[in-house]
Amino acid sequence: MSDDETRAQLQRGLRIATLILAVLTVDVLGLINLVRGLDSHDFPAAQFAAFAALTAVLVTEAVLVVRRRPWRTGRRLAIAVVLAASALSYLTLPDGKTSTTVDWLFGAANWAGAVVLLDRPFRTFLAFLMTHELLALANLVVFHEVNRPALVRFSTGSVTVLGLPLLMAVVAAVLGGIAAEAARAARELEQARTAEAAAAAAHRRRTQRFTELSDTTVPLLTGLADGSLAPSDPVVQRRCAIEAARMRRLFAETDTVANPLLHELRHCAEIADRKGVEVELDARGHWPTPPVAVRRDLTDAALTALATAGSWARVTVVGSSDSVSVSVVADCAEHAVPSPATPDVRIEIFGNGGTVWMEAQWQRS
Amino acid sequence: MAAELITAVIVDDHAAIAAGVRYWCEQADPPIRLLDAGDRLAGVWTGEGADADVVIFDLELVPGKPDFGELRRLVDSGRRVVVYSQHADNATAIKCIDLGALAYLTKREGPEHLVPAVRVAAQGRGYTAPSLSGALAADDTPDRPRLSPREAEVLRAWFASSSKELVAAKLHITAKTVDTYIARVRVKYANVGRAASTKSELITRALDDGVITLAELNETTP
Repeated sequence: MSDDETRAQLQRGLRIATLILAVLTVDVLGLINLVRGLDSHDFPAAQFAAFAALTAVLVTEAVLVVRRRPWRTGRRLAIAVVLAASALSYLTLPDGKTSTTVDWLFGAANWAGAVVLLDRPFRTFLAFLMTHELLALANLVVFHEVNRPALVRFSTGSVTVLGLPLLMAVVAAVLGGIAAEAARAARELEQARTAEAAAAAAHRRRTQRFTELSDTTVPLLTGLADGSLAPSDPVVQRRCAIEAARMRRLFAETDTVANPLLHELRHCAEIADRKGVEVELDARGHWPTPPVAVRRDLTDAALTALATAGSWARVTVVGSSDSVSVSVVADCAEHAVPSPATPDVRIEIFGNGGTVWMEAQWQRS
Repeated sequence: MAAELITAVIVDDHAAIAAGVRYWCEQADPPIRLLDAGDRLAGVWTGEGADADVVIFDLELVPGKPDFGELRRLVDSGRRVVVYSQHADNATAIKCIDLGALAYLTKREGPEHLVPAVRVAAQGRGYTAPSLSGALAADDTPDRPRLSPREAEVLRAWFASSSKELVAAKLHITAKTVDTYIARVRVKYANVGRAASTKSELITRALDDGVITLAELNETTP
């Protein structure tokens, strides 16, 4: 399950729980109180209008929950409806009945607000709660007799009126935080796994590189170290040049480039270039990128010729949609080129009076 | 028509290129007379330049803007053009040939190609340098002419080795046969795409010389 799914599921559960609590408070408890105190009300129609307004907000939320949609443009209107219903109910309350069971809306309005603002930042909901609270207080102070029992009722009532929805909002904020934390933890775990896999792959590549060099480079180095091979021997020098080019190619193989074959050939050419050999490199056409093993077969002939060229070398590549051929013409000694390791590569060597022409061709099978 | 002095006019905004080409032309045997028009195209159309046998044309007088329009105007007025460009891409090379240039050389190709290119262009024949040969060998545009396997092989070998002797030795043919195969490819290319007087001249000559027959030529149009 993805992080977003986890978070969405948590939020949906909380949303449904809040809606159920709101329905219980407004449409069950609120209605009971409203009907019981109906005799005390001077304007029962206004009270029922307020009740209908709050219920309408809850019905809308129920529809949105079922359709799994958030509040969008209707959110401000819904809050305005809740506050307007509160004002209507408070203004039409009989004298001295503030914060009693007759004042049924005092405990109910905040829940209607809660379902609308559940997914908003905590401070938005707090602002709504305070607005409603001030509305009730203003009504008490301006239109009713401010006495000790009224103030006591208001303050004790406020504890539950504010406290319960606030608790819900805190739970929502905490759950949101936990979801974000879980998502972050999952992401970190994923990153750690990727890094581990990359490190393992790098290690594998290094081991493989070493194995590949051990057949040719290691004996050469061992020979030079124990003195059985003389650095002054032209054959040893040639082997060194070839191994150097081979290592350069090996390092170039892991580079991320658009055209790996050309990239590797350029590295091989650079070895010759450094020796003062004049190298021309020209490529024509487009070809599919051959696998590493094939590229090695293709560049091996070129590499040998380039590493041993006397003064000049011409390297050319011609590609088509299903084949590519690498040619090297150089003034180097003709020597046996190892037979290709892959079946689709064909190597030809042609020598003509001090000039050697090697061509390696790959036909995609 | 042995040693008639060939006159060429070069349009190139790089003084060093013009000076180098002048030196190559003077050293050539027999020498080629070179007029330097600098970067002014007017020098090709007026005065002595208007009578030159060959135009050596730098395709990019304005950097980044290959002037195919001017090349077309030159070819349409019957001039024999050798394009000398720093552009190395296939599309540019093939477009120049399609427009009717007799040769296309990259500036990496020196006197060993430029001098013979000017000489054969003066006779209305095409010269195919290795870079152009590679471009033709790798051409995969849908309206390219159909080449025989041997022609394609010769093109690739000429591009790879840059030496006709090597191509001949490797493919067990004579150097003259190598030239014939390359000439056939050029005739096939002259036979497709846009019409140009230099291209029809190329075809007529090839038919006269027996490089290719009319039947063969008609078979190869895409």
